[in-house]
Amino acid sequence: MLLCLGINHKTAPVEVREKLAFADSHLPEAIREMRRLEGMEETVVLSTCNRVEIYSAVNDPERAMESLREYLTRHFDLGDFAQHIDFYHHSGVGAAWHLFRVASGLDSMVLGETEIFGQVKKAYATAQEAGGTARRLNKLFQQAFQVGKLVRSSTRITHGSTSIGSVAVDLAEKIFGELSGCQVMIVGAGEMSRRTGKSLLSRGAKSIIVSNRSHDRAVELAEEMGGKAVRFDDWEETMIHVDIVITSTAAPHSIIHPAMVETVMKKRRGRSLFIIDIAVPRDVEPAVNELENVYLYDIDALEMMASEAREERERQIALCEAVIQSHLDENGITALAPIPDRPPTGKDRSRPGNDCVGESPEADPITHS
Amino acid sequence: MNTPVLLALSTLCFLGGFSYAVVALRTGLHRPSWANLGIMIAGFLLQCLVLRDWGALHGRCPITNAPEVLVFLGWSLVLLYFILGRAFRLSLLGVFTAPLVFLLQTVALVLLLAHGPYPPEKLVPTDIWHELHAAVSLLSFGAFGLAAMAGLMYLVQDRQLKSHHPGQLFYSLPPIRYLTDAITRLLGIGLILLSGGIVSAYLMNARTFTPHVGLSAVIWAAYAGLLTWHFLRRGSPKRFAGASVVAFLLPLMQLALL
Repeated sequence: MLLCLGINHKTAPVEVREKLAFADSHLPEAIREMRRLEGMEETVVLSTCNRVEIYSAVNDPERAMESLREYLTRHFDLGDFAQHIDFYHHSGVGAAWHLFRVASGLDSMVLGETEIFGQVKKAYATAQEAGGTARRLNKLFQQAFQVGKLVRSSTRITHGSTSIGSVAVDLAEKIFGELSGCQVMIVGAGEMSRRTGKSLLSRGAKSIIVSNRSHDRAVELAEEMGGKAVRFDDWEETMIHVDIVITSTAAPHSIIHPAMVETVMKKRRGRSLFIIDIAVPRDVEPAVNELENVYLYDIDALEMMASEAREERERQIALCEAVIQSHLDENGITALAPIPDRPPTGKDRSRPGNDCVGESPEADPITHS
Repeated sequence: MNTPVLLALSTLCFLGGFSYAVVALRTGLHRPSWANLGIMIAGFLLQCLVLRDWGALHGRCPITNAPEVLVFLGWSLVLLYFILGRAFRLSLLGVFTAPLVFLLQTVALVLLLAHGPYPPEKLVPTDIWHELHAAVSLLSFGAFGLAAMAGLMYLVQDRQLKSHHPGQLFYSLPPIRYLTDAITRLLGIGLILLSGGIVSAYLMNARTFTPHVGLSAVIWAAYAGLLTWHFLRRGSPKRFAGASVVAFLLPLMQLALL
């Protein structure tokens, strides 16, 4: 029988998750130890910042569950703290269903994110190398990869970006393509501009220039981001050379006007300019967006795109689950283990079924997704 | 299978490819797929069969009448799309090319139906410069056509970026910088090919300039001017894209005058 025991961001705060996180270097040994536990036959451990889940093929579910809990308490030296951890359990088709949802990004903190797919792949590869898998988990994880790909290609679950930073990066990429040649300037060293700047850097932006009324703060932020600082009096001149401008000053009125940008654009010789205005009140006059080759997005426009993407992804959940269900039906996943219960479908998923044997219904991420 | 039927099937392939892509784009699930590429390849192979039949009929490059010219132009567009579309990271160019090819071939089919079979027109004696001029010029028009499609894609993407309410197409269209680069390269390729076409026309006419060659020279000058204007950074990329769309009317006019 298949078994899944775990905690995730919905069931456990970070204080708990960090206690149960497996270090990459210890994982192979831990897998070998778990395989030797009573009732256990195969094991894969998925340990990320948002979840720790142990997938197992077992011959005695109750005994395996008990020995797994004992092992975790011992391995992480949890002592009495173990009693306060709300593990969720899934067995049989419920475990397959849960893994397929995880691999498809439906159980992630950011719905539809794709990083988890790679993390599941890595977890499986590590277990395989450590000798933790055999026929049943090999089959289960191969199916999970198929389903994850199918869900992503046949639905819009990954569509758009769900945070302001990633929307800004997406837009920048739709203007410039690869960001490796792009220079970014931050005007006003606020937290939001820092985060947006970091998002752009993480996607390959060439360099960052920071300008702030307090030059010391500009230098500090520039050093943190590996860029350089320019005096606040010089940022207009610098705008000629950069591709992306992030503004978030505390100015009570707009500081970038159409006439100013028009002058800058004449000197840019046809290069596009992307301005991200995350200040409130706004730093840039909206009419700047009317200028050719200038793309201006304020905080509301970015948030609206992020919110639309989140709503769209929410709307896709039912469709994704239908894809998973149809894969379960078509591939006879029940053949993986002799499960007497039917797989969770439609309304059944809204209540705990026999294959979701969590300690409490509230602890079950399937019934409460 | 007779040639008009092959042409009709090819035309349907391009309509199918376009419809498939539009449906995929509307549902937001468009990705470069083998199915879509397969339909385009099938359409292209059928075009090849049509042109082979016509070529055998005339014993020369099949560009002797309006339907043939239109089909040859459509064939050039698809050929260049296959060669350059992926190299320029513009797989979606096919979505924009397919309806243009469908339109060209539909007109060709209507002309064939209205006019009946065109008589064979053999060149006696065979003039290599004449054939080279026609083939290379039509290939250059194919490149200009693709540049126009890339220009159209630019205008759509620019509008989506400006609107702050991007639709499904936004996520499938390439970045505007890539589109600007693609237009530039396609116009450059078209200009080189057209230069070859004009030189061969000059040689085919015993080193004299005819009105036809003159018109080709005007088209060449227009595109050369457009590229120079772009390289000198005199205009915005949006105007460059718009100009590449409008400029394609010139080759189409020349074809209409043939």
